[in-house]
Amino acid sequence: MASPALLLLLLFVAVPFLAAIGFSLYNVRLGDPRAPTFMGFTQYARILTDPDISRQFLQALLHNLIFAAVVVPVQTALALSLALLVKKTIPGVGIFRSLFFLPVVFPIALVAIIWRLILARGDDGLLNSALGFFSGGAFGSQDWLGSGLTALASVIVLSIWQGCGFQMVILLAALQQVPAELYEAAELDRASAWQRFIHVTVPGIKTTLVFVALYTMILSLRVFDQIYVLAKSGGGLNEGATRTVMYEAVTAAFDENNIGRASAISVVFFVIVVILSVIQRRATREKEG
Amino acid sequence: MLSPRRSRRTAATVGAALSVALMLSACSGDSGDGSSDGTIDVWAHTGQAAETEALQMLVEKFNSSQEDVTANLTLIPEADYTSTIQATSAEELPDVMEMDAPTMAAFAYDRKLIPLDDVVSSETLDNRISGVTESGTYNDATYAVGMFDVGLGLWGNRALLAEAGIEAPATAEEAWTTEEFTANLEKLAEVSPSGKAIDLGEANGFAGEWGTFTTTPDLWSAGGTLMKDGKADGVLNSDDNVEALEEWASWREFADPNTSGSAFQDGQTALTWTGNWMYPTFSEALGEDLALMPLPDFGNGTKAGHGSWQWGVTPVAEDDPEAAGAFLDFLLTDESISAMVEANAAVPGSTSALEQSELYGADKPLELFATNLESACGSDSVTEECIAVARPVTPGYPTVTSSFGSALLAIWGGAEVKDELDSAARAIDSDFSDNNGYQDD
Repeated sequence: MASPALLLLLLFVAVPFLAAIGFSLYNVRLGDPRAPTFMGFTQYARILTDPDISRQFLQALLHNLIFAAVVVPVQTALALSLALLVKKTIPGVGIFRSLFFLPVVFPIALVAIIWRLILARGDDGLLNSALGFFSGGAFGSQDWLGSGLTALASVIVLSIWQGCGFQMVILLAALQQVPAELYEAAELDRASAWQRFIHVTVPGIKTTLVFVALYTMILSLRVFDQIYVLAKSGGGLNEGATRTVMYEAVTAAFDENNIGRASAISVVFFVIVVILSVIQRRATREKEG
Repeated sequence: MLSPRRSRRTAATVGAALSVALMLSACSGDSGDGSSDGTIDVWAHTGQAAETEALQMLVEKFNSSQEDVTANLTLIPEADYTSTIQATSAEELPDVMEMDAPTMAAFAYDRKLIPLDDVVSSETLDNRISGVTESGTYNDATYAVGMFDVGLGLWGNRALLAEAGIEAPATAEEAWTTEEFTANLEKLAEVSPSGKAIDLGEANGFAGEWGTFTTTPDLWSAGGTLMKDGKADGVLNSDDNVEALEEWASWREFADPNTSGSAFQDGQTALTWTGNWMYPTFSEALGEDLALMPLPDFGNGTKAGHGSWQWGVTPVAEDDPEAAGAFLDFLLTDESISAMVEANAAVPGSTSALEQSELYGADKPLELFATNLESACGSDSVTEECIAVARPVTPGYPTVTSSFGSALLAIWGGAEVKDELDSAARAIDSDFSDNNGYQDD
């Protein structure tokens, strides 16, 4: 029974992973027909100790962790509040549901291009001109994407905007499964709206909440597209303040043709992700128990 | 309960149909590699709309002009073009492919190109202008032929220049010094409707090839270069380069981010820093007000980039190179070249087409680009006299441009110039030493 699943796992997880380990030990250059030379653990040593490469890798890892630490709670909370808002049966609620879900339909690359116009530096950037208008010109133009202080925050904001509609739909489905009798009973017991939320809603959707948080965590770790688009195609995104591990791996492989280093980065990252998911599984299990 | 279930079934059907369609199209993609049946596959990048139309027209014309060879053109978006070729193994490449000039050496090193000296006719080869010859030569063999070469310059809006009381220099000798340039930026910022004097093309992304192509002339003009004798340390991070890029980064306060993509042609900025391909758009918008000027002089004379899209033949065509050769000979006739440069206003790549050109030549609008190319030189040996300089012809170029581009983006954002160039030089040298200096034998 399990054999198709095992075959797929083998084909799409085990084989690429073993190949990556193999590639990382050789100087594999994309497109080069020459036999690659054996480098041993040089690529790993560079990622972990070389002043340039390891600095970039550790920066990238830090950005991933900051991204996850902000996006997981904020996006889940936002998605839950949106779901509570659009759960009400008022006329026209379908329009709101569609509107909140709309950004999910856009590819993230397109979202990055739209936000590039919103966050553009200079007075004609949409955000800058809006802030300038409402503050009567007191708020000067900011370089949202270029400044080291706001670059990662900008990426986080646009990622949440794009992603939270999806979580909203999942949570909405969960909310609709919570039996209405429970709410009625709570109301009869004179529970306040907040108490109903804490004692009826949250326990009712707990498994879905855990799933949504896990799912967002996984997405946060592989964040790449929006950063690549904003940095490489004229968004002026501050690369040093936003590079992520996936960004490092892809640029090593496809901009510098260095498959060896890209594989080594992927292998190290795989190990880190495994450790993180084990920790998270432990944590959520305790919650359940 | 009924409608969601039905739509789920529809979704499944659509999904299945899509995957079948994908599989079919994937299969049909394989069919074109038999080169002996007189069919050749041709890959090209999707450039400006007019340029792409001109190419499609030329391919049709070639197919109807003779019976023996049929060319199948596939267009690939420019942003992914180079990485597509890079990631495709030599056997799966088309017979004939286009490539950007600085990527040629890497493809030749990867054995994705064959020498053209016996493929293309010697009349065609002898008729090339020197810039095109130079961009197509690697290890003393011709690996690529180009229909045109490019010019990079400073374009001005005469109305705004006059308002600020500034005279536009016309020849390379009259190029503004960097002091004059900065002073003029200040004056022009006041008369430019956007409040910014220049569009440096930052919307095209300094981290990509755009950054290397448009900014390296600053280094050459300051007496520096990207690398010498396969080494970047001590060259890329030289004091000359550091000063030049500090100067470049200081222009940021005058630079329009040009999110609309049309700041200059709309008269919003007085200056823009870009290539010949924008000439048709600019001259239509500004007419007589359009001025073409040399880039500012950092001390070692004004410099400009050159080297553009060019054509090569892959090992796939090795059994029957005549078909590929016939196609390239056709593309490089004066008639084809004229049709192409009419679309992109590039410098015609053959001497005879250049002589007949309506844009290039004495007192013609783009004369400056043609004179720049007359004194061309390589990146390793930049002299004060030469103006057009080619980007380094080395198989390691992808790392060079990627590291330099990242440094440029950071410098533009305000990072310490010396640190960024030091780190780019280390990355380049480490890549070269990993690959044994890209010795090709």
